[in-house]
Amino acid sequence: MITLKNIEKVYQTKTIETVALHNVNLHIPKGEFVSVMGPSGCGKSTLLNIMGLLDEPTNGIVEIDGLPISRYKDKELAHIRNQKLGFVFQSYHLINDLSVLDNVELPLLYRTGVSAAETRRLALTALEKVGLSARTKHYPTQLSGGQRQRVAIARALIGQPEIILADEPTGNLDSVMGEEIMNILLNLNRHDGTTIVMVTHDENMAQKTERLIRFFDGQQVSDAKTTAFDYQKV
Amino acid sequence: MIRHLFKLIWNRKRSNFLLITEIFFCFLVLFAVLSLIVYNVRNYNKPLGFEHENVWLLSMRPDTDSTALNRQTLEQIMQRAKGFQEIESMALTNSNAPFAFSQMNNQLSYGEKMIMANEYLVQDDFDKVMRMQVSHGRWFGQQDNASHHYPIVINRAMQQQLFEGEDPLGKLLHRNDSSNYQVVGVVEHYRPSSEYTAEEPGFFNRIQLPRDEKDFYGELLIKVKPGMGVEFEEKMVKELSGIGKGWTMEVTTLEKMRQNKAKVAKVPMIALTIICVFLILNVALGLFGVLWYNISRRNSEIGLRRAVGAASSQVYRQFIGEVLVLATFGLVLGVAFAIQFPLLQVFEVESTVYLIALGIAIGLIYLLAIGCAFYPSRQAAAIHPAMALHEE
Ligand SMILES: Nc1ncnc2c1ncn2[C@@H]1O[C@H](COP(=O)(O)OP(=O)(O)O)[C@@H](O)[C@H]1O
Ligand SMILES: [Mg+2]
Repeated sequence: MITLKNIEKVYQTKTIETVALHNVNLHIPKGEFVSVMGPSGCGKSTLLNIMGLLDEPTNGIVEIDGLPISRYKDKELAHIRNQKLGFVFQSYHLINDLSVLDNVELPLLYRTGVSAAETRRLALTALEKVGLSARTKHYPTQLSGGQRQRVAIARALIGQPEIILADEPTGNLDSVMGEEIMNILLNLNRHDGTTIVMVTHDENMAQKTERLIRFFDGQQVSDAKTTAFDYQKV
Repeated sequence: MIRHLFKLIWNRKRSNFLLITEIFFCFLVLFAVLSLIVYNVRNYNKPLGFEHENVWLLSMRPDTDSTALNRQTLEQIMQRAKGFQEIESMALTNSNAPFAFSQMNNQLSYGEKMIMANEYLVQDDFDKVMRMQVSHGRWFGQQDNASHHYPIVINRAMQQQLFEGEDPLGKLLHRNDSSNYQVVGVVEHYRPSSEYTAEEPGFFNRIQLPRDEKDFYGELLIKVKPGMGVEFEEKMVKELSGIGKGWTMEVTTLEKMRQNKAKVAKVPMIALTIICVFLILNVALGLFGVLWYNISRRNSEIGLRRAVGAASSQVYRQFIGEVLVLATFGLVLGVAFAIQFPLLQVFEVESTVYLIALGIAIGLIYLLAIGCAFYPSRQAAAIHPAMALHEE
């Protein structure tokens, strides 16, 4: 589903040059739930941004669904993000001036040929999936952190993307709420076959996914199936 | 997407309130100034109803209080003036000559109907001096000497208000002192006040020196042959002053008087336009500032939209669109207010004037909005999504 070949990312500022990623090679097959761990500043977000076509690698090749992404126009990249990718962020990135329902509908506004009624229906279905059917008319500021993240997940899945990229989705939540979010993601992966790449600091969460990749200083240091994987497949 | 923008602006109405109010006031001021300009320009483009080229106005002030004596001297002066080769025609007039700063009106009635109309007292040759075109009936003259009524020529504006479909010729009008006037002719237009003034109902009444014994008229309109200048003016004044010894005589051209009148209309128009431009600049700077400031506040939103599938150009269009929607809110309020002027007929101005001003003002506000949004929107579109979404 996602393949990274010899990915190099260097941030160049006036005074310093930061190597955020160095020689990263990864293949994430369809339907896999992968977690990424590593200390702060080791390049996890940069990795997700490159997979999510929000940032370009300095060197190397990104392939989504077997399609090498290079020299794509901004419009084409936006189109791929809209069709194939869903994002979940640590700080939710909800638009506070829009209701829960309007926030969830957002990705479909950038998709042509979906009627307003269909968009509404899909948004309600997505909210049902994350258990927020009763909060559609609320505004983000009226919700708890866990509820906000559920809205963000509903927004990520309304377009039925093949891949969801989650950057520390439980980072701002207590363990109970974190657990809820994790279960929703696990469900998505198991029932809908969505490929998920999740950055986390929580070892327990990571162990619930199939595969765990560890980063240090911009480089992969380990990549292994988890116990959950063995358990799951038995 | 448009619905989405309206929703977004509507939900942000609290923070957008100031901008909407600014646009609202900006629109109203623009509308007011444009109404004035459109009104003036439309009047300017209408016919005056006379030709003022080569017409001079000789103003004479006698030095005695004896009307009889003054009339005698005036008679001699006019006799002498008629002798000049350079003069084509001339006519005495009341002080409300074309482009003069003087008005006179009278209330006349026809049957049940009353009208307040400008009265222009002129001698028979006025129509030749001013090249008046009588479209219906005739101008007055010697043939009216025997009439029991005052023969008058009215303008179309007066005819429409007083007679509507009826033929006005021969109709009798009354003044409250029970004098009777009889309509003998109609002219299409007569707008002597200024090129920028709307046509008002008015009528010409006849100066008949032999009959009006107690009256003295010191304003003489003179049509000179083309090409006459200061030289002839000096010669004429010198000779006429020889007859009216001690009289003050001043000559001015109607062209000069026209320019003076135009200035009176233009100065407030220009002053208001300048004030308006400053106001708009102010609003524009404010609008630009707020939009600019909003971009940094909306970093997260911009990044998010890019992530869920908005291309950079769509972010650009969204920001422009938002400002247009914002302007639309201000305009809806503004138009609701402005439309009262033609609806309630607050001033006696044609509705068309308001509608044109309304259209131009709306266009200008949208242009202003786009102009202010252009650069901030481009800036918003240029924000790198990964940067915008970056979190520590
Ligand atoms: N836009 C940027 N400009 C310069 N340096 C950056 C930028 N984004 C990230 N970095 C640097 O790249 C490295 C990796 O950052 P990041 O991927 O955010 O780490 P993580 O998500 O693992 O905490 C860090 O050293 C960070 O300071
Ligand atoms: Mg990070």
